[in-house]
Amino acid sequence: MRLSDTLLALLFIAVAGVMIGLTTTFPAFPGQKYGPDLFPRILGTGIIICSLLILLKDRRAPISDRLPALSLDPALRGKRQLISFLLVPGSILFYIFVADWLGFVPTAFIILSGLMLWFGVKVWRALLIAVLMTGLIHWFFGSMMRVPLARGLFMQMIYGG
Amino acid sequence: MAAISAAFGLVFDPVVLMTIVFSAMFGLFVGAMPGLTATMATALLVPVTFFMAPVPALGAIVTATSMAIFAGDIPAAMLRMPGTPASAAYADESFAMAKKGQLELALGANLVFSVVGGLIGVGFLIAAAPMLAEIAINFSSFEYFWLACLGLMCAVMIGTGDPVKGFLSLLVGLAVGCIGIDPAAGFPRFTFKNVDLMSGINFIPTMIGVFAISELMRGAVTADQAGKMVQEKVGALFRGIGDVTRRYWKNVIRGSLLGMAIGALPGAGADIAAWVSYALSKKLSKEPEKFGTGHIEGIVDSTSANNAAVGGAWIPALVFGIPGDSITAIVIGVLYMKGMNPGPTVFLQNPQFIYAVFIIFILANLLMLPLGYAAIRGARQILSVPKNILLPVILMFCIVGSFAMTNSPYGIVLMLIFGVFGWFLEEHGIPVAPLILGLVLGEMLEMNFMTSMIKADGSFLAFFSRPIAGTLGVLNIIIWGVLLWRAFSGRRGTMAVLEQVK
Repeated sequence: MRLSDTLLALLFIAVAGVMIGLTTTFPAFPGQKYGPDLFPRILGTGIIICSLLILLKDRRAPISDRLPALSLDPALRGKRQLISFLLVPGSILFYIFVADWLGFVPTAFIILSGLMLWFGVKVWRALLIAVLMTGLIHWFFGSMMRVPLARGLFMQMIYGG
Repeated sequence: MAAISAAFGLVFDPVVLMTIVFSAMFGLFVGAMPGLTATMATALLVPVTFFMAPVPALGAIVTATSMAIFAGDIPAAMLRMPGTPASAAYADESFAMAKKGQLELALGANLVFSVVGGLIGVGFLIAAAPMLAEIAINFSSFEYFWLACLGLMCAVMIGTGDPVKGFLSLLVGLAVGCIGIDPAAGFPRFTFKNVDLMSGINFIPTMIGVFAISELMRGAVTADQAGKMVQEKVGALFRGIGDVTRRYWKNVIRGSLLGMAIGALPGAGADIAAWVSYALSKKLSKEPEKFGTGHIEGIVDSTSANNAAVGGAWIPALVFGIPGDSITAIVIGVLYMKGMNPGPTVFLQNPQFIYAVFIIFILANLLMLPLGYAAIRGARQILSVPKNILLPVILMFCIVGSFAMTNSPYGIVLMLIFGVFGWFLEEHGIPVAPLILGLVLGEMLEMNFMTSMIKADGSFLAFFSRPIAGTLGVLNIIIWGVLLWRAFSGRRGTMAVLEQVK
């Protein structure tokens, strides 16, 4: 998704505005001239100035050079490309919401094999690599480095809770 | 002296040496794969090094980055696809050489002059860092404030494209850095009573998001297409290198020095070093008309420069805690995690660690010769690892790595948000490197500003009252002026000008 420079600038101005607005609730630093609100205010003002410069430049450019307000990256036109693209953040979301409940091992296996199958790896190959990689990552991070990877249903079933 | 022998003891330990060899192979692989960058290699290494002792952790990063910057040259010459952005400057040139039947000479020169450039860069790091540290030990919050400003300004000035967009990216990075407990008064800002946000924006998952996830999202679109296969057989690599060295030894030194200096500038790393030295080489060459037709001269300059920049970037990182490029931005995070807070005092408190880093740097560059040779020989195997298998595996590593940094899903959430945000910014021509620098330097900038203000009782003139602080302050104002002039006259950054030269 691509916004025109005008829309992009307006978006940043809005965010900076909210940021400056929030600083009004910050308490003063007792005995000092400047408090925790100073820096966010300077930064917010800077973001607004930069955005205004971008906005002015876009408005002054000839209409033929301007992008439409909203457009799609040419690389993402096409259903398959768009799905491939969305699968990356989609897999991360899937992990965030499912891993705790299901456990690391099945979640990682589903993501790895699912993505490989979608990208056209042969079925037996995709499944084999997914199993190996899940095992490897679990061994390396879970056992060697003691990262508390989600246990979930999977471990409960194996170790009986 | 005791520190130096202690450093040798630390490095020549079987575990450390093993780590160096493994990370060298990892770096060569990541560098040689188009689409995977040296910065990404470092970001992926951090979760692994998190649990290591300081010396193997830093050794892994040093080795992997040096190797990755060289390995990027391999697919550049074979496929015209730079393996890392640092090889992009001369990818056309070395591919043109390959088409003329000089693939061996191009790759041999890449390998040998990468090693030489790397060693020269390290030499200057070893010589300059302790000297600068002696000066820096007298710095107070005023000098550090100006230095941080200078670092941020350089990042915008040297970067690609539109300076206004670079500046916007920097400000957004600084604003993101404001989230969490404020460093002077201890007030939680923009945390919305969320405990995770109180701890601030964890730097490593953010980096993994910005540099790896956004790249994976772009790569996913073409992941199911078959990659180009390497057909060429590689013959004798080092034939003709002697002649090239005799003819162009000045270029090697010029490229290395320039690369080292650019690397040491905050915000500019190996990729910009390669572009600038390629352009300079063309400008000063006796036969500029041959550039672009498969002429080795520019390659000699720029392949030395990008490896020299790797060492140069560590100078401001170690001495001032100001990153020289996006890789050392991650390194600074690692240094803090290992309790080796960067700054001049690290040379007093932990000199053995610093010397160990220097030794590993030299070792990594020497190791590049045999391992790089093997990587060129095995390039066909490395480059035939299909993207459709690699992409899911890297994604899984990113997820687990980010999780490991916070031991909670918060790391993964951060990675996702900044991955999408980084992709969004680059889609609109906004560079992401200033954002990361802003995030790293934000706290230092604000902390030193507030401390100075408290010391000076609110008088802004105090920022110019000490000699070095005054000089740095004036320098800052000059750079500000140049940037403003550029923004209003519509001139583009140095990089855009360089691309035109090319």
